[in-house]
Amino acid sequence: MTSFKPTRRTLLKTGTAAAALATFGPAVLRRAAAQDADLAPYKSASIDWQQASGETITVAVIPASYFENLIALAPQFKALSGIDVRFEKIPPAQIRQKSVIDLTSKTGTYATHAADPMYYALYAANKWVEPLDAYLSDKSLTDSSWFKFDDIIPAWRSANGIDGKLYGMPYDGEVTIQVYRKDLYDARGLKPADTLEAYMSNAAALNTPNDRVWGAALRGVAGAGQNMYIYPSIFREFGGDWMKGGKLTVNGPEAEAALAWYVDIMRKYAPTAAANWNWPDIADAFSQGTVASYIDAHSSASVINNAEKSKVIGKIAYARWPKGPSGKRTTSIWNWGFPINAALPEKRRKATWLFIQWAASAETQARTAHRFAGLTKRSGVNRTSIWRDPDYIKLMNGFGENFVEAAMQALQDDTDVDWRPRVPQWPAIGDTMATAIQSALSGQATVKAALDDAQRRIEPMMRG
Amino acid sequence: MASSAVTSAEIGSDAPRSDFGRVLAQRERRFAAALLAPAFLALLATTTFPLIFLIWTSAFRMDLAMPFTNGFVGFENYQVLLSDERFWSSLLVSLIYTGSTVALQVVIGLALALLVMDMKRGQGWFRVIAILPVVLSPAVVGMIWRTFMLAPEFGIVDFLAINAGLGGKNWLGDPLLAMVSVIVIHTWQWTPFAFMVLLASLASLPEDIYEAARLDRATAWQRFRRITLPLLRPAIVMVVIMRTMVALTAFAAIFTVTAGGPGTATEILNLYAYRKSFTELSIGYGSALAVALLIVTIIISGVLFAMRRAK
Repeated sequence: MTSFKPTRRTLLKTGTAAAALATFGPAVLRRAAAQDADLAPYKSASIDWQQASGETITVAVIPASYFENLIALAPQFKALSGIDVRFEKIPPAQIRQKSVIDLTSKTGTYATHAADPMYYALYAANKWVEPLDAYLSDKSLTDSSWFKFDDIIPAWRSANGIDGKLYGMPYDGEVTIQVYRKDLYDARGLKPADTLEAYMSNAAALNTPNDRVWGAALRGVAGAGQNMYIYPSIFREFGGDWMKGGKLTVNGPEAEAALAWYVDIMRKYAPTAAANWNWPDIADAFSQGTVASYIDAHSSASVINNAEKSKVIGKIAYARWPKGPSGKRTTSIWNWGFPINAALPEKRRKATWLFIQWAASAETQARTAHRFAGLTKRSGVNRTSIWRDPDYIKLMNGFGENFVEAAMQALQDDTDVDWRPRVPQWPAIGDTMATAIQSALSGQATVKAALDDAQRRIEPMMRG
Repeated sequence: MASSAVTSAEIGSDAPRSDFGRVLAQRERRFAAALLAPAFLALLATTTFPLIFLIWTSAFRMDLAMPFTNGFVGFENYQVLLSDERFWSSLLVSLIYTGSTVALQVVIGLALALLVMDMKRGQGWFRVIAILPVVLSPAVVGMIWRTFMLAPEFGIVDFLAINAGLGGKNWLGDPLLAMVSVIVIHTWQWTPFAFMVLLASLASLPEDIYEAARLDRATAWQRFRRITLPLLRPAIVMVVIMRTMVALTAFAAIFTVTAGGPGTATEILNLYAYRKSFTELSIGYGSALAVALLIVTIIISGVLFAMRRAK
């Protein structure tokens, strides 16, 4: 039997360890307990969150507050699942190209990425991403009564599906609404427009460039997510049909009327610079009081309500997209979704799915929105139930009059899944159309010539 | 003495020395080749291989949007290219852009150099300030001009134009003004290069010729035309060649300022090739456009080099 003979060194070691435990022990325990409470809502799902523990996945997102909030919660996901998530932030203009290059080369660099719904047709045609239905129905991977897939906004779900199969899980999205200066409208006895015609006459009434107030602004800069974000809605509202008789058609009388309306309002009542503006520029100009109204994503509300920069807080109100001559309203049903890269090994695909399920769950959506501890709360949550949550509504109504009502109606009633042609050739079509719209806006070509030229260029893309 | 006798007896007469020399030379060559190999391989891997791959790709239909149509098509991409109006218009834009920016750079650069040569003081300062635009990244230059300088109503250029009574202009939204703007931006950034090269050449011209010309009562214009210009010719041609090759393949500044717009008004060939490849995802056709740009660049620089040699 060896007797315990304490030496000076062992005494010192034990003493230090005891002191450390006495000092930090309670804090460590408290944190562990807090973490348990944090994780409890997720652990109530009947799946093994730890089944892909030890995996590392890289997720490409854009630098936006709605993703920053998710990144802030990522340590909770790591504690829950044992999966390491590395985020890479890529500006919106480059993320599409970078992810396409990654998917083409099949290197599997990005396990998932913030994906544009218009790209799923391309992804699916190349089998670059996995259909998510198999993951949703696999009981070992998804607890459907906990995840409640049907609670996710239907328009975004259908926008992220091709032929009835889901390819990307909506995380954050937006809807287009009318934003206007209530004080200016009231002063002239105007009402928010119910039709595109009324929108034009409101803009005319409010357009006073000498006082540095312009009537309206729409996205003008060329690009698939820029002027081609706003024009397709107008095209559909004028009765346009992308797939006329099964053939992709971008010209014709409805298209000409739609583009003429856009060019007209931009030339007459928008600041000249708007021809090169994207949504942040428009929101900035509105927040400085130089634009009386604009039609754009509801998420720009956070910019025009930024207490440090905005001069119009308290004077803002919202309304639905105006109706077009066809009697229809067509807003965008745009969202950032998460697909699963098909080039990943099986265990990492599982890890990616667990991450996606965690990010899209009602709990994480609430924790990144009205229950987020930081300053910027999300306004594009993916759940109908959250859009009806009194706390969320209270937060959103801080953005101005009629905000939640306008956005909710737009989300539920004013959308159209064929808002844009959902074909693999979209990147090329979108770019060609964007160039055509801009050449009409700048007077480089007439409306008809620009559209006919776009049609000529798009036809060979569709022939294959 | 004895040992050398033994050696020659063993091996033969004169032969060994030259054999030995040959072996040495061979070893030296091998050593040189071994030293050169890594650099040579790196060069092959980073320049020659991608170039061959580009040419090879241009013989395929490689359309990411329609993967089922992909395959070898030979020269088809080039046939399509010849009847593609947008190719011809982008080539024309490239030539206008290159021709005008290079001409402006040489003229303004030479004028500045002549002016600075006569400066008694502050020449050093002027050189430092003048070189600043060159060290900026073209993308940054593009952003500065787009947001601070050329924005209608809000930009510095428009502010000055309005105050000068010229009225506001849509600098980047009007096809003609947009073209003028991108030419001005490129010229603004790269004239200092021409200026520095020409200033250095001017400084090295022999003073005694001018002295002689003055004694012969040649006017300043005559001295410039008959002495300065001919002596500067090699430097000017060098500047033209270098600036032409860069202007033909310009990209970043135009991409950030106009992205080729409005419409296709400032879409140079390089930009069109990029958009075809990476925005429209038509890699094969995009490669054919890039090869076309390569051919155009080789032809133009070939002509310029020939002009340099011709007297």
